[in-house]
Amino acid sequence: MPSLSYLVARLLQIIPTFLLVMIFIFLLVRLLPGDPAIAMAEAKATDAQLEQIRHNLGLDQPLPMQFLVFVKNTLTGDLGRSIMLKAPVTEVILSRLPTTIFLALYSVLLAILLAGPLAFLAASRVNSPVDVAIRGVFQVGLSMPVFYIGLLLLTVLAAQLRWFPVGGYGKSFLANLYHLILPALSVALYTSAIILRNLRASLIEVLDADYVQFARAKGLSPRIIMTRHVLRNALVSTVTLLGLSIGNLMSGTLVTETVFAIPGVGRLMLEAIFARDYPLIQGLTLTFAVLVSVVFLLTDVVQSWLDPRLRQS
Amino acid sequence: MKRILPIMLGATLGLLAATSAFAIERGGAMTFARYDDSTVIDPVYADRNPDLWMVTGLYETLLRNGPDGSIVPGLAEAHEVSADGKTITLTLRGGLKFSDGSDLTGADVVFSLDRARNADLGPWAGLLGAVEKVAADGNRITVSLKNPDPTIISILATFNTGIMPKAAFEKAAGATDQEKARAFFSAGPVTSGPFVMKSHVQGSSMSFERNPNYWRQGEDGKPLPYLDRVEFLVIPDDATRILKLQAGEVDAAEFIPFARVGELGADPNLKMELFPSTRIVYAPINTREAKKDGSKNPLADVKVRQALNYATDKSVLIKLVTFDTGKPMTSLMSAATQLHYGPEPLYPYDPEKAKQLLSEAGLSGGFEVKLTTLAGSADDATLFTALQQMWAPLGVNLKVEQVDNPTRGEKNRSGDFDIHSYGWANDVNDPAQVTGWLGYYKQRQAVGTGWNNQEFNTLFEASNVETDPAKRKDEYKRMQEIYAAEAPLLFLFETPFAVAVSKSIEGYVQTPLGANDFSEAWRAD
Repeated sequence: MPSLSYLVARLLQIIPTFLLVMIFIFLLVRLLPGDPAIAMAEAKATDAQLEQIRHNLGLDQPLPMQFLVFVKNTLTGDLGRSIMLKAPVTEVILSRLPTTIFLALYSVLLAILLAGPLAFLAASRVNSPVDVAIRGVFQVGLSMPVFYIGLLLLTVLAAQLRWFPVGGYGKSFLANLYHLILPALSVALYTSAIILRNLRASLIEVLDADYVQFARAKGLSPRIIMTRHVLRNALVSTVTLLGLSIGNLMSGTLVTETVFAIPGVGRLMLEAIFARDYPLIQGLTLTFAVLVSVVFLLTDVVQSWLDPRLRQS
Repeated sequence: MKRILPIMLGATLGLLAATSAFAIERGGAMTFARYDDSTVIDPVYADRNPDLWMVTGLYETLLRNGPDGSIVPGLAEAHEVSADGKTITLTLRGGLKFSDGSDLTGADVVFSLDRARNADLGPWAGLLGAVEKVAADGNRITVSLKNPDPTIISILATFNTGIMPKAAFEKAAGATDQEKARAFFSAGPVTSGPFVMKSHVQGSSMSFERNPNYWRQGEDGKPLPYLDRVEFLVIPDDATRILKLQAGEVDAAEFIPFARVGELGADPNLKMELFPSTRIVYAPINTREAKKDGSKNPLADVKVRQALNYATDKSVLIKLVTFDTGKPMTSLMSAATQLHYGPEPLYPYDPEKAKQLLSEAGLSGGFEVKLTTLAGSADDATLFTALQQMWAPLGVNLKVEQVDNPTRGEKNRSGDFDIHSYGWANDVNDPAQVTGWLGYYKQRQAVGTGWNNQEFNTLFEASNVETDPAKRKDEYKRMQEIYAAEAPLLFLFETPFAVAVSKSIEGYVQTPLGANDFSEAWRAD
């Protein structure tokens, strides 16, 4: 396992990332034309009413002042109140986050289950019809936008065949496995296509490597060659890719959750942007930053476990 | 015999109608797919349509908007306006109760109306700006005004004056009114309307159950509503919402894109409802002498604005954008608005006249105009391409700028536009709201156009304190004539509210003001 000092060093690196994210998002949302007061009053308010709303929200304060308040509140764990939902940001995000994490893990799991065995199959029979077929099918998955795959799955499997519900969210763990299978699958198809290509390529490379030839010549059993020599080496780059794709997946939830009517943080982010809900956008961005940082950290940990050379640097 | 047949037929039909009226079935639930979720359904804080279109499902008003647009009794069985127009006396019905069984009294009315007119709370307080004092004496409610206000009767039938339970609200946790409102709502509020809220999962679902103490009677002589429950599901994506309906997982889906109306109307399991609405689609024109960048604005000339209106073929737009569900505008306000005046569609398509007006304005050489549209809106994209083609023969070079909703709002407020797309639906059953919004300079610079017409402004101010209905009607007629001739807008079309409903559901209505009315809905299977 990686040493404690390595973990601490990695954790410390996250702090400047968060600071940058905070400054960046604070400025970025305020650079957008229009403000929460305009978005909120749906244009029906008079100019005087808008001023009143801005005053109530503290938006009439100078920017540096607003930023100080934001930083001070964030450090004390107070992300403010959502303008759109009229509720504390922390409470809103915590109620929506589990759904998104569930969906993300579910689709990663599906992607690995899909891509893993097929990559092995394809790599063990390079350029055979099986290999070409697998690559061809996944190339299609890679080329189609996630929302389109989602609508296709919905139309065929849910609306016509009635095998699955059309969008929505269940009330228990098992109900969620059932409700979220289509969104998870449409995200997984894309992710698995990336993993499959990468894993297949590394497997082919490793299978051909001298040390694998040597292991074979030593007469080691194919199982040991696979687990100890091939898989461990081939997985290094795939794990990196998986970590990166989870980062992408977070942004993908904006679309998937809207198409499938899932009440997660992705759809919330989209609504918050359209409402110019500054506190909520800021809170969500921080949440995404934390999630992605954690995933990258985990990726590094797994990698350094797979590849001891990484622990020294 | 020949003469008797129609009579017999008539009698049979009448009998059929009578039996169907008594064939209403009680009980059961319906599931309704919405485009967006409510946040806090409170008469005072409701500020987005998904909130304010639900308020009257939970909170009953003193007066109600009748099906034909007239004001009918609500919690108050009678109302009277004094001769000077400054006092309104209302009589509460006897035996009214909230959903928890507690009595609905004059104290609750005073509490609710005082809350509704408190400018520190919600955005709608201005609607009750003329109110000086609300008092209750037993079942008699007296609303005293600072000055006569002909809109006040309509306001007493508007969602923001829904009656809330004083005692239960004050008991809710929280230091401020806003915190109390949220706590009160999340706990499943005590209500005066046809339903109570049983559960709400933000962004996902909501459940209404029938209020057993609701006062109105159904056609079978027993209290409304007929349904035991209404379940709401939030499905923002149009395509998914429709798929959910086609799969039979919901009984109704709102905001059907007009492009899908024909297809759903042909589905044997569905009824495609196009509810008459007060919704108008129009495009404000910047009428200021100079544009935001300081350059001369050709649209400041009324002849140019008229020319563009004549050069716009409304019937084509109605076909392309609304798939023939819309109708041309005949006035600044929709034909379903009270005191509407507009004998015929405004600016019938006439390219020759448009050309002549432009040459009178000295612009026969053509000019450039920018249309600001909503990014991602298929309707706006169609609008732009159609206008671009219609106006090109006049030498008008139409450019497009795509922005999101708050950006468009910002541009409207700062006058940084030539022409932009916009929509509106009335919230109040009175023409003052839409007229003030679109035409009164002092309110919002006439919907941001900068159009400042003295005669119009004076008429509007006079009409707001006019106690003689006939005179007020005349003032509105004149204002609508002036507005039509001055054309601070591109008058486009009116659209209905498109809701697709399962054939097994009867009686659901979306009112012209947009409110979702489930009080008389029932399940036929």
